[in-house]
Amino acid sequence: MELAAIFISAVLVQNFVLYYFLGICPFLGVSKKIDSAFSMGLAVTFVMSITAVVSWLINNLILIPFGLDYLQIVSFILVIASLVQLVEMFIRKISPPLYQALGIYLPLITTNCAIMGLALIAALNEYSFVETVIFGFSSGIGFTLAIVLIAGIREQLDLADVPEPLKGAGIALIVAGIMALAFNGFIGMLT
Amino acid sequence: MATKSIGQEYLKGLWDENPVFRQLLGMCPTLAVTGTVITGMAMALATTFVLIFSSLVVSSIKKLIPSQVRIATYIVVIASFVTIADQFLKAYFYSISEALGPYVPLIVVNCIILGRQEAFSSKNSVGRSLIDALGMSSGFVLALFVLSAIRELLGAGTFLGYQVMGPWFKPWIIMILPAGAFITLGVLLGIALLIESKTKRSQ
Amino acid sequence: MSLSSRMIIVLTTVGLISGGFLAGVAKLTEERIALNIQAEIEEAIAEVVDNAEVNQKVYEEEDLVIYRELDEEGALAGFAVQATGVGFQDKITLMFGLDASLTKITGLTVIDQNETPGLGAKIEDWNSFLQFWENKDATGQLTLRKPAARTPEELSAAEINTITAATISSKKVLEIVNLSLEKVRQLIQEGKIAKEEQDGD
Repeated sequence: MELAAIFISAVLVQNFVLYYFLGICPFLGVSKKIDSAFSMGLAVTFVMSITAVVSWLINNLILIPFGLDYLQIVSFILVIASLVQLVEMFIRKISPPLYQALGIYLPLITTNCAIMGLALIAALNEYSFVETVIFGFSSGIGFTLAIVLIAGIREQLDLADVPEPLKGAGIALIVAGIMALAFNGFIGMLT
Repeated sequence: MATKSIGQEYLKGLWDENPVFRQLLGMCPTLAVTGTVITGMAMALATTFVLIFSSLVVSSIKKLIPSQVRIATYIVVIASFVTIADQFLKAYFYSISEALGPYVPLIVVNCIILGRQEAFSSKNSVGRSLIDALGMSSGFVLALFVLSAIRELLGAGTFLGYQVMGPWFKPWIIMILPAGAFITLGVLLGIALLIESKTKRSQ
Repeated sequence: MSLSSRMIIVLTTVGLISGGFLAGVAKLTEERIALNIQAEIEEAIAEVVDNAEVNQKVYEEEDLVIYRELDEEGALAGFAVQATGVGFQDKITLMFGLDASLTKITGLTVIDQNETPGLGAKIEDWNSFLQFWENKDATGQLTLRKPAARTPEELSAAEINTITAATISSKKVLEIVNLSLEKVRQLIQEGKIAKEEQDGD
């Protein structure tokens, strides 16, 4: 696939949240304020970009040459878990302001299925190295876009008269559904 | 917690602590594979398998694991059972495995499974952990069944692949699109809360 | 025993046990998984080439595999072409059959697709799409008929029907087929695939 097509597809068409349903937990949990949603999005984009590179290296330099495909799930999840820890320690050392901004969101990312999903989908699509890097970065951007948009809507929803049982997750999911429908329209951009 | 009877331990997973409707856990498989009842149930059963066996293993080796590396150990255990489930589906139910795509390996990041290990199996006996895992799995199966039945019925007019709706019925394609998944689950969450508040009031 | 050595021992042991166990499971299932993939391809071939009994792979590159098909007496029954290309949402892998003279498409089936459920996914459906692919001209470019025809008879030999509300998915399938046909014609010219039995490899 062309690189531009991968970018558009990952950001708008096959959006991680709205098409693959990955990263729903932070999508619902950290989307009440635009500021924190944006920081979460940045943290995810950051980790996704690194994960894409590392998981590609592991998959193509170790697992496939040695016929160890069956260890894919185990090695990906371990790498992601330790990677997030490393990134956290690294940022704390190098850039305290960035740590201030992203710090509390990083541990939450370990159990974020979007990161694992990224590694698996990139492996499944047999992307080349460059394609994987673009895919990782643009998937992060797509996640950020979705979470910031819904945070904006939820800030407005606070003022709306939502039926009691739908308050919180219920209405957030329904709004996400309408967003997913709107994002469907972007499919046309790829053709 | 120790005062709960076996029955209560099992039943809490079905409703009071239903992983999907009450705890909002395991959302990605819940939304992604519930376009048809068959894929929904295949996913629910694969998750059940992983949850039960991980709980058994974790609760039996809990005393041997230093607490600093417990999460890493749980993850390896869970990932191993997920790999087994994935290989098994590929070998014996190839078409279902194709339909589920990346979502079988993604069971590994289903928060229900890691959550139960951390919150329950690491602190309770093997027997109780098994009951807990069974209860939570049943709750998950129930949630996926309801969601996938609604989506398949309205989105394709079928149930388990059999035509149920008459020829007058025009399928609501939105129901099998991602948007339909979000909206249906949102409405179901609302209904669950409504039932909960009604029963609370009547008590 | 110090804590850190215990941590290392526990993690290594868990890792080794799980690794060994998974290697065993992989060994057990490996053969069946390979058979399943094989069976899926054979089934697809049987759908598009009549009387195909023996499959010989005669050409293979990324995204394009060509099989020569023999019937039970060993005579040439036709060719099957497996091709992968980009669809509306994701990759589409399909298989189409060619008759023994390589001039006619005998049929088409879709092996793998992730098009929009209920719309683009109809490229898998016999009534709305696949039935219109029998007996098509394989010597030139195929074109799309829009608005859609109701019966296969209304279409000319070089025309393919559009699925209503899924024009792009239909077009993508057509593009994949046209591209593979071009490649097939080029391979015939280079003498890499031949109609006659004795010329094959």
